[in-house]
Order: sequence, then structure tokens, then C-alpha cells
Amino acid sequence: MSIKRISFVVLFLLIAFLSSCNKEKPSHSNRVVIGIESDIQSTNPLFSYTVDEGNISELLYLSLIQFGWNSNEGELIPEPMLAKDWQWNKDSTSVTFDLRNDVYWSDGVQFTAKDIVFSFDLYSDPQVQSSRYGMFKDFYSDSSSHIDLDKTFIVENPFKITINIKKGVLPDFNDFAIPIIPQHVYDNIDRKNLISAEKEMKPVTDGAFILSKWEKNQAIILRANKKSFLTKPSGPQEIIFKVVPEYSSRITQLRRGEIDLMEDIEAGDVAQLRNDSNLKIFPLLGRDYDYAAWNNIDPDTYRKTKRITPNKLFGDEKVREAFTYAINRQGIVNNFLNDMGQVAIGPVSPIFKNSLDTLLNPLPYDPEMAKKILASDGWKDVNQDGVLEKGNLKLAFTFYIPGGNPRREYAATVIKNDLKKIGVDIRIESLEPQVFFQRMFAHEFDAWMAGWSVPLPLDLKPFWYSDLKNTPLNISGYQSKAVDLLLNQIEKTKSPPYRKQLYREFQELVYKDNPMTFLYWVDNIIAYNTRIKDINITPLGAVYHCWNWTVNN
Amino acid sequence: MKKEILQLLFKRILTSLIVLFLLISFIFFLLRISPGDPSLKFVSPDLSPKLASKIRDSFNLNSSLISQYKQFIINLIQGNFGVSYTYRIPVISVIKDFLPFTLIFSSISFLIQIFVGFLLALISVRRINGVFDKTVLRLSLIAYAIPSFVLGVSLILVFSSMLNVVPSSGLSSFDAGSFSFFAKISDYIIHLILPVVTLSLSGVAVYYKYLRQNLEEVYDNSFVLSLRANGFTEKEIIRKHVLPNAINPLISVAGVELGILFSGALVTEVIFGLPGMGRLTVNAILSRDYPLVVGCTVISGVLVILSNLAADLIKIRFNKRLIKGMLN
Repeated sequence: MSIKRISFVVLFLLIAFLSSCNKEKPSHSNRVVIGIESDIQSTNPLFSYTVDEGNISELLYLSLIQFGWNSNEGELIPEPMLAKDWQWNKDSTSVTFDLRNDVYWSDGVQFTAKDIVFSFDLYSDPQVQSSRYGMFKDFYSDSSSHIDLDKTFIVENPFKITINIKKGVLPDFNDFAIPIIPQHVYDNIDRKNLISAEKEMKPVTDGAFILSKWEKNQAIILRANKKSFLTKPSGPQEIIFKVVPEYSSRITQLRRGEIDLMEDIEAGDVAQLRNDSNLKIFPLLGRDYDYAAWNNIDPDTYRKTKRITPNKLFGDEKVREAFTYAINRQGIVNNFLNDMGQVAIGPVSPIFKNSLDTLLNPLPYDPEMAKKILASDGWKDVNQDGVLEKGNLKLAFTFYIPGGNPRREYAATVIKNDLKKIGVDIRIESLEPQVFFQRMFAHEFDAWMAGWSVPLPLDLKPFWYSDLKNTPLNISGYQSKAVDLLLNQIEKTKSPPYRKQLYREFQELVYKDNPMTFLYWVDNIIAYNTRIKDINITPLGAVYHCWNWTVNN
Repeated sequence: MKKEILQLLFKRILTSLIVLFLLISFIFFLLRISPGDPSLKFVSPDLSPKLASKIRDSFNLNSSLISQYKQFIINLIQGNFGVSYTYRIPVISVIKDFLPFTLIFSSISFLIQIFVGFLLALISVRRINGVFDKTVLRLSLIAYAIPSFVLGVSLILVFSSMLNVVPSSGLSSFDAGSFSFFAKISDYIIHLILPVVTLSLSGVAVYYKYLRQNLEEVYDNSFVLSLRANGFTEKEIIRKHVLPNAINPLISVAGVELGILFSGALVTEVIFGLPGMGRLTVNAILSRDYPLVVGCTVISGVLVILSNLAADLIKIRFNKRLIKGMLN
């Protein structure tokens, strides 16, 4: 057969085939598709290390208690979930939970208090490597942080359990908000291999949704669990997490209605999306901030000897203060974030209204003030080369940033240009993120730019406590005995007004010391299709409690 | 002849095993001396610092490089690439999820590149410097010059966003499970149209240019004139004499290209959200998933070697004299 004939036959077959196979559209109601950047590795809450994994496991597994968000106070409110009710004893060293007796696992076995004991046991077992390992500081545990079950749990009956916590610690409801997993499914699996073994198992869940299908790197499809006490007929019957790695493809699909909800939208796309009548934009006040770090301590000395000595350039808080005056942070917020964010004053996000010191104002953009401060500290341009000097020291250094983040690349350029105006010469070096973060955690940099996400509930000790060995996130090496004292007191105090007072004192000290330049809080911009109603977006997440949504077909 | 082919296969397998061993060892040491830490993913304000340390221990990253290498070689001899740090299942199982798609997708694209390139070259060479030839020649330059990310995004914009005739990403519809067999196949085809075009277009241009040039050169030889003088038809001349002479260099190029295609088409996979080896490999490198990177390297290496071997065998079929050169 000639090539011409073959090509005609192939073309004919292709056209005939495609035209004869119309796309079948089965009926589906109340489906919501959420666009995510990358696939998850596990639906099991034991191994939920990322935000998406946490979001999905929270829909599949119920927690002992859940949280609501009090937007007036900026605080988490514990609410019943598997526990109907709870009572603390007089000295707050034990709490008794009354459990629901109408919850069944997807294989038909009833949920009981034994599942709770088993879950805490697994989460705290070092062999398991769970996402919560090492987090149960308030519980009686052995040297490997494994909870002492005998001391901690008293199963009064299948639907009543008492949990004892250490004396003298402040009870934290976050310790109890763990998704519970079924004992009868995981009991006989070797814990060392649990992380691998669970991948081969069909999830047995009790949440508002059931895992219907997981197409690797494509989509995670959940359908409503009709037996759950949480689901309602008007709520979404199907939630699909669709993996679309490329940002602009996600935006295209959002506009086409292939995706109903998407987070982390770039500020530059907001104006275009606002023109789409099917979409609603929600800028969620952030708990993520970017900072320019000026290492307070000498990184070489610390790495080699673990001794803390002031950094030769930034050890003096006057230099750090001058840098903060010199950087036009409001300009970055206006020009890059399109006002979808705000200048950061300190490490307490504006969402924590009860803890935020509203009397503090951000240092203004004032290059003249910056020059004066540096001059008063002895920095002068003696050789008239445009760069300040102090003795043998030159105010010139490398500023490291993680590559692949346009916002940080923009901000780094602004910082370089602004600091140049006051006689500081910086060279920006962009590193591959893995390399950057490894070197950052190894205390190799003098100056760098990165960001933190402030945890919920608010916990600042891991970032600001002076003991660098046990506070690995205090990378800029901030040292303050007064702040340490406050952080210790915050951990212990039971009185909310006093705690608020302590937080304010903490923020004032940090404001005065300028341990770094807090740049800006970044809003999490969320866009969703207007057919989703009753959506309540809080700092707990856009998909949190999505079983309460109403979805129009 | 059979004996010589067997000799060639034996020689190739032996050299391939040595090449693979050196490649794996090189990758093993390169990854470990490069900056980066697989346990960094577990350093976060939301996770305990103790977790990262436990995970590092479980990855056996604290032991010496030599003892890690010894263990790695022992495992490799037993056919075990280890457990992926990210997926926490054996590397082979992870690759099993991604490789079939890449093999099918790459093969379809490869066949289209060869078929269309071949067809265009044949039509062109019959009308050298004609309108068709000149147009296709220019278009092929444009097709070759367009980067695949520009082409992919443009195709999405036109055919998905504006015309709404094909989906913009994914491999199948969410409801494909409930479709009939033919509807399922058609669903896959509809989803793969844009990715296949994106991946194939530059390849079509390459094969077209290559084959057209070869055909033209062979066509200009005096033996073609002699065949014409002896009364052979143009069809016979092309099929029996010009094509076998022109196609040999193309087979070598095709062997290399197919191997590269089998290693994954990263840009196309990312733009269209497809689960292929390219995305898997790059994500493994970015997250420093050492066992998975080695596994992906071995698979890519084996596929490149096999594609080249297949190309050589095809070449021998066309020209049996080549085997001696290959054996030497």
C-alpha cells in the first residue's frame, strides 16, 4: 500500500473514531474541584507533612476536637467533634471527654475510646515518624518522647476517656486536635514499616468524606460519607483535588470553570480574575511573612565553636535599625503585592488580634534617618567610593535568596537599590532552594532573605528563644534574656489578659532590637466559583470544614 | 549472520552493563556530595525538630559515604533500588506508576514525528523548490524554533480557553471510570491531543529536515539518472533505491531521539499535568530523593541503550555490511 493510501486510512480512522465517540457526561451533582500544585504522598493523617495532605486527611478522619476561628479576638476556639463534651479537673491536670457513640469506620466497625489511646500511641511513637512526633510536650512520656499510655489515659468506658497531662503545664487544646485512626486496622502492622505498609492499604476512615479514587499525579477524588453526622444533602457530594502543576494552567482552568477553588493566587492576576463574574476573590490576611535577616551573631564562630559572638557588621542593633529605615517596604507592598498584604512590624501576624500590639507602628521609609543612625554609629565613607566604612570594615556583603520566587527576587532588588542609597553595597546571590535552606539552617550566611509561616495557635518560642541548640528556627541568632523570660512566662500563664500583656512586651522588645527587618505579611489570595455558597474562609484554611458549603449545580 | 548478531548483542549488553554501573556510581556520589538534604522537608515550624533527626537516621544518611555505597551496591545486586524518601515505597513501585504513561506517550509522539516527518519529506522531495516544499521548509523552521512551553501554553489558550474543544490538562476525565470502553479511549485521545502536538512538532521538523536533505542528496546521485534511463518509474526509484540509501542516518538519529523521549518530557508533562518520568525525575532531584534519582537514571539509561541497539539492528537489516564495523 502506498504511503498516501496509508495516511488517508489513518486520518479517516482517526476522524471516524473521534467523531463516533462523543464525550460521555455522567450526571454528577454538587461537585467541587480544587486546584493544587502537586500530588500528596499520603491520605493518612499520621503522615500529613504538607498543607494539602493535612487538608485532605482532615476531610477523611475526624479529630477528637476541632477548632473554630474567633475573628474578633483572633483566636482558635475548641469545638466538639468526636468528643461531644469535656470537663477539666480542678488543677487542669486531666480532662475527661464524652465521646460520640454514632461514629462508624468505613468498614462498619464502631469508633471507641480505644482508637484514641491507639492514635496518641502511634503519633508519639518514634518508630512511626508521624507528623506529630515530638509535639506532645505536655504529656507524660519517656526519653524518646513516646507517650506513657498507662499514666496518660484512663478509658472509663468505650465512649468516655480521661487524659492526664503533666503538672504545671498550660493545657493546650491543640494537643487534642489530632485526627483519630482506627486501631483494628493498624494494630498488627509493624510500626517501623507502617509508613510504607499503609500505602498498600485501602483507607478505613470515619470523616465527612470517603476516598473514592486516587489517580497518582492527577486527582484525589473524595465523595461525601452519607453516614457521617457532618454531611448534609445540600453540601458538596464530591470534592476533587486536581493536580495541575503549572500555575498559569491552574488560572486558565479556574476561569474556564474546570477548577472551582484555587489558593495562592498572584496579586498581579487579581484584577483580571475580578472581571470574571463567576469568580469571587478572597484575600485572606496572611500569617506568612518575608524578612531580610541580618545575622546577629558571627556565623563562622558559631559553626566552628558553638560560641556566640556578635556579628561584625550586624551585631549592633543600630545597623539593623538603619537598614529597616532604609528599605521601602510599603513600596514592595504597593507595587508587587498590589496592596494584598501589609508592612510587617514584628513576628505577630495581624490575624492574632488579641496578641498583636496595635500601638506599634512600622518604622517609616526614611533613608536620611538611616544615614544619620549609621553615621552616629561610626560608619563613614572615608575613601569616597560610595560605600560606608568603619575602621577596616566595609559595609558590603552578599545577600542570599532562594531562587524561583519572583516576589523575593523583586524584594531583594528593592533592598539592594535602597541600601545602595545609604552607602551599603550588597551583592545578591540566588541559590537553588535546597542548597539555600541547607546552608541557612547550617548558619552559613551573614545576610539573607526568606520567610516564615507563623503557626496556629501562635507559638513564637521556636523562632526567638536564645538557646540556639534547642531553637533551630532562630537562625539569625537573636539573643535577649528579657525576651527569653517573657517567652517562658507566656508558655506558663493561664490568664488570657496577662498573656496578652506578655505578648505586647515581647513585641516591644523585638521592635526595639530589630533582630531582622520584617518586610511584609503576604495575603493568601483565594479565588472560588460563585456556585459555592456558605464558604467561611479563615486562617484555618479555605477548605477547612468544606462539608458546610452549599453548592449550586 | 545470526552468529554475528548474537555476538553484537553480547558485546552491547556487556558494555551497557559497564556503562550503567559507572553511571549509577557517578550519580550516587554526585548526589551525596552536592549540597542539599533530603530531611529538609521535615524542618518546619509545624513539625518537631526531633522528627527531622529521626528521619535522617532512618534514611541512613548519618553513616559514612563508603558504607552507604557498599549497602547500595549490595541492594542493587539483589535488584533493590531502595525505598523512595518521598513516596516511602520501593523505588521500583514508584517508577511502575509513571513509566507506562511515558512509554505510551513517547511512543505515540515518536511514531507521529517519524510518520509525519517522513510523509512531508517524501512529498517535498518530489517537488523540490515547489510551493509545498518551500512552505513546509519555512514552517518547519518555525516549528523547530518555538520552545515547547510557548507552544503548549499557546495551544491551551487557543484550543482550550478560546475554542473550548479539548481539555487543558490531565490524562482523563474524572468520570472516565463510568465510561464505556470506546468512550474511555476517546477520552484519553482527546486529553492527549495537545500534549502530543506540543511534544511532536519540533521532532516532526527535525525528521522532515533531516530526511528531505538526505533524499535530495541521494536523488542527485548519478545512479538515479542511470535508473531513470533504464526505464524505472519514479515510484520504484524512490522506494527501492533512494529511500534505503537516505534512511540510514535517520535511523541513528531516531534511536537517540527515542531514548531521550523515553527519559520523560518534562515541559510538556508540567504544562499539561501529566504523570510522566520527566516530572518524577526532576521532583526527585529537587527533593534530593537519592534512591529515586538513581532508579530514574537507571531506567533512562536502559531505555537509551535499548533504543540505540534497536536502531543499530534496524540499520543492519537495511545494510548487512554494517555489522562488521559495529563488532570492531
